[in-house]
Amino acid sequence: MKEKLRSLFYKLRVRLTADEMFHETEVQANRLGALILLCSGIILVLILALTAMGVFLLPLSSVFSPTIQAIVEIIILLIVCHAVKCDAWWLKHLLMIGLVFVYARLDCMLTHKAAILMVLPVVFSSRYFSRRLTVFTSILSTVVFFFSAAWGATHGLINLNIVTFPAGTVMIATGGFLGEAIQNAGASDKMLVTNTLIFDYLPKWLMFSITSIISCNIARRGREMVVTQHDKDVKSARIESELNLATRIQADMLPNIYPAFPDRKEFDIYATMDPAKEVGGDFYDFFLIDPDHLCMVMADVSGKGVPAALFMMASKIILANNAMMGKSPAQILSDTNAAICSNNREEMFVTVWLGILEISTGKLTAANAGHEYPVIKRSDGGFELFKDKHGFVIGGMSGVRYKEYELTLTPGSKIFVYTDGVPEATDSAGSMFGTDAMLAALNKDPAAEPERILKNVRGAVDEFVKQAEQFDDLTMLCMEYKALSDTEQ
Amino acid sequence: MTINKTKNGNELLLSLEGRLDTLTAPELEKEFGASLAGVTSLVLDFEKLEYISSAGLRVLLSAQKVMNAQGQMKVCHVNETVMEIFEVTGFSDILTIE
Repeated sequence: MKEKLRSLFYKLRVRLTADEMFHETEVQANRLGALILLCSGIILVLILALTAMGVFLLPLSSVFSPTIQAIVEIIILLIVCHAVKCDAWWLKHLLMIGLVFVYARLDCMLTHKAAILMVLPVVFSSRYFSRRLTVFTSILSTVVFFFSAAWGATHGLINLNIVTFPAGTVMIATGGFLGEAIQNAGASDKMLVTNTLIFDYLPKWLMFSITSIISCNIARRGREMVVTQHDKDVKSARIESELNLATRIQADMLPNIYPAFPDRKEFDIYATMDPAKEVGGDFYDFFLIDPDHLCMVMADVSGKGVPAALFMMASKIILANNAMMGKSPAQILSDTNAAICSNNREEMFVTVWLGILEISTGKLTAANAGHEYPVIKRSDGGFELFKDKHGFVIGGMSGVRYKEYELTLTPGSKIFVYTDGVPEATDSAGSMFGTDAMLAALNKDPAAEPERILKNVRGAVDEFVKQAEQFDDLTMLCMEYKALSDTEQ
Repeated sequence: MTINKTKNGNELLLSLEGRLDTLTAPELEKEFGASLAGVTSLVLDFEKLEYISSAGLRVLLSAQKVMNAQGQMKVCHVNETVMEIFEVTGFSDILTIE
């Protein structure tokens, strides 16, 4: 289920072209713009309230009208945003113009006390990842704030530091703030406007221009990052879908239709493979060499993932080809080793247990190339580890000779082979499932059919590891040698 | 996994600590790639090695092949778990274990 959701997610994400991603970004930025407007509106209301309470040094009459205008403007813009659900190509320009005018009104009143107002629209515009919009906002801010500075010089807070008077001017304190005394002394509007533009607006604009350059750069970089991310998403989605296909190809290579031999009543066989990653290095195999000989293979390639899967495919084919030629297990392993070692510069290797059952007699001939011990259940007993003779892994060194051994299976006997993913399944605390726990799971119901037996082991492993992520491939095979029914005998 | 390295002339001693598996084997492979040149005696101390996986065995095999050509390689202080893995995989036959 999780896998399905994930692949669906990749498909959806790739269906978005770069343009659609930018559109999505723009709508998100519009929403942010609406939020900024709302916050600004709240601040305006606060300013109005503080002025009315006499906290701010401004006459209420000069604050009231621009603040109310700005609040009305904000309300109209918010209604527009809501009406088009923040999704219209012209909305970003409208928001920028709206923000610049709202802040310009505040700037008229607070003048030098709120120098930061000028940079806010430009900084916000970089969120659209559009350099053109940021440049547009910069120019608009430059012009609008020029006029607001000029108007604010005579109507807003007076910056006392820039007031100049002719020599000999007498100022009379009337009690209260210095600004009133300055106005009473007859400061000319021309002097206030000129001085404000030179001493306040110009340095502010210089700092503003640096902010504009930074914002333009952020907008451009942001755009590049969105494009790069999109390319990466497309690539990773392609790799994902190729891996999914590889997983299916790998699974299809193994016999996986059960019952595998519906017309053979003398034995029953069942096997499963669960790779830890999309593709794995474990494999099992079983096939009839001739009507009387069943070959079974259990193998584990060093490492995991795609490299292991590629090596696994080659190993499986070479083993099966050698087996079909009617060789003995030891000979099959030796010849496979020779074939793999001839071209193995990466020094990959594979551990293999291979057994051939003579169906008519129950004679099992097997050889082991560095693989886990098989588990045998005699007809009258439980499952027990069979410590067989071990040769070296296949692919590790050329010229290795393998020894084979024989067992006779009586009706009711079973053989269970597996990869190290089973005994070495690890829980979140780091402890391993272990061979003893595996034997216990096998002996829970030793008389059960092979499919049931594998489910019992899998259940016990799952219960043991609980939430820990499956780290190694889990592969198992179980074969039951049955008595022939009387009629068939 | 941590690798402690002691070099004495042409002799190299590497002490491994922790788990040598798919995640950590590339570290050791890199270490071998960087420091095996000119070494005639390589000793691997496994006293503190808890576990070795097939990916780790692959790295050991590569090192053994390199050392076959230029000197000798010994593995010492192998614990029970790791020894069992060496025996099952047949590595006990090709490695010099002390």
